[in-house]
Amino acid sequence: MTKIRQIFLQIPSLKRKWEQFLHQQGLTSFSEAEVTNLDFTLGLYEGQKLLGTGSISDNVLKFIAVIPGELSAAYFNQIVSALQSYLVQNGQTHMMVFTKPQYEASFNYVGFKTLTKTIQGCLLEAGNPGIQQYFKNLPHVSNQKQHQVAAVVVNANPFTIGHRYLIEKAAQENEIVDVFVLSANHSLFTSDERLYLVKLGVADLKNVRVFPGGSYLVSYATFPAYFIVSKDNVIRYQTTLDAQLFRDQIAPVLNIKKRYLGDEPFSHTTNVYNQTLKAVLPPKIQVVIIPRLQQGNQIVTATAVRQAIAHQEITTVKDFLPEITYQFIQDHQSELLERIKKGVNINGN
Amino acid sequence: MEIKKTVIAGTLESSDIQITLSPATGDNLEIELESDVLNQFGNQIKKVITETLQKFQITKVHVKAIDQGALDCVIRARTITAVQRALGQTEPAWEEL
Repeated sequence: MTKIRQIFLQIPSLKRKWEQFLHQQGLTSFSEAEVTNLDFTLGLYEGQKLLGTGSISDNVLKFIAVIPGELSAAYFNQIVSALQSYLVQNGQTHMMVFTKPQYEASFNYVGFKTLTKTIQGCLLEAGNPGIQQYFKNLPHVSNQKQHQVAAVVVNANPFTIGHRYLIEKAAQENEIVDVFVLSANHSLFTSDERLYLVKLGVADLKNVRVFPGGSYLVSYATFPAYFIVSKDNVIRYQTTLDAQLFRDQIAPVLNIKKRYLGDEPFSHTTNVYNQTLKAVLPPKIQVVIIPRLQQGNQIVTATAVRQAIAHQEITTVKDFLPEITYQFIQDHQSELLERIKKGVNINGN
Repeated sequence: MEIKKTVIAGTLESSDIQITLSPATGDNLEIELESDVLNQFGNQIKKVITETLQKFQITKVHVKAIDQGALDCVIRARTITAVQRALGQTEPAWEEL
């Protein structure tokens, strides 16, 4: 009789056994940072023997592995069921998986739909709201197809005059600009705060629409390396999935023909992402790279703003910020500091 | 009656069926069924789900069913559980069984 039990990875001896098991099943390329970010891990046991395992991080199913043999499919289904009911019990009815191509069929078999795939990886989702629901919630204009639409994707952590400059530039050169603000909550400013500041910050630009990126644009599922430090090859194949998803699913729905990017002198991860976008998006979507805005001889960057918040010297970055963002930071200074103390990473993206 | 939240009942294990109820996109019962025996038993599975929902007077819902070869009694039991979860009922509705 098999039993599902939670595995507490905080306990070093259990964690070692778990890692050993994953190694045996051929899962080797995972970082320590990724493991610490897991919310829940379970094991399928027969007595004391571990037969399979699976984990959850946000709404993403991760590190699913089972021992080979004729019952492996049954074990796999048991684990996926248990992970799904864990998510549903916690109010999360939409879930995603990021896995190797050889497991695509197993996930399809239990109701997961493939969003996009490359030779190295494959991204699937199940439950709702799914991607069709996400599309339905995007406002459409009746003659969308006749317009020249451009997209800008920002984390805006927080919104600076640099973001404003990029969006303004796109707004001058196109009929409609769709701005997607990343939805993952792994940044100093929460997704609601970031969305709010972007909306207010571009409110005067009449041809700009602002959307949440949901699970489909640089999300924790499509591009975890954006939020946790990862190796180059990992970043490259994750960004390829993200770029393909944008090109094949999102852009056609909104008739997006151009994507504007800020050139990236600082963040290595974002730089790799930009390279991938340049390689994947054309010719369907034109990539326009805008040089970073300079204030005096300093390049405007949100990283500097976050550091200034941490050092309690926000007046030094006042020039980088629109009035609204600056006011918001002043009003919420103690709360932001509290988050930094709790360990939100401010040096990443 | 109409289902307004998303609920799941059942598992993906062999001989079981996983029923997900969520708000309908259209105006009636929508059933999306995945099964290895779709050609042989697809209509029967849909019929059992529909009848069970009708007993609860549910007319507007989206049903996603992933079947792993469940018998009718299992399909019925999983559908009832899903409906009761969606409606927040904790007592089994004996008269529906």
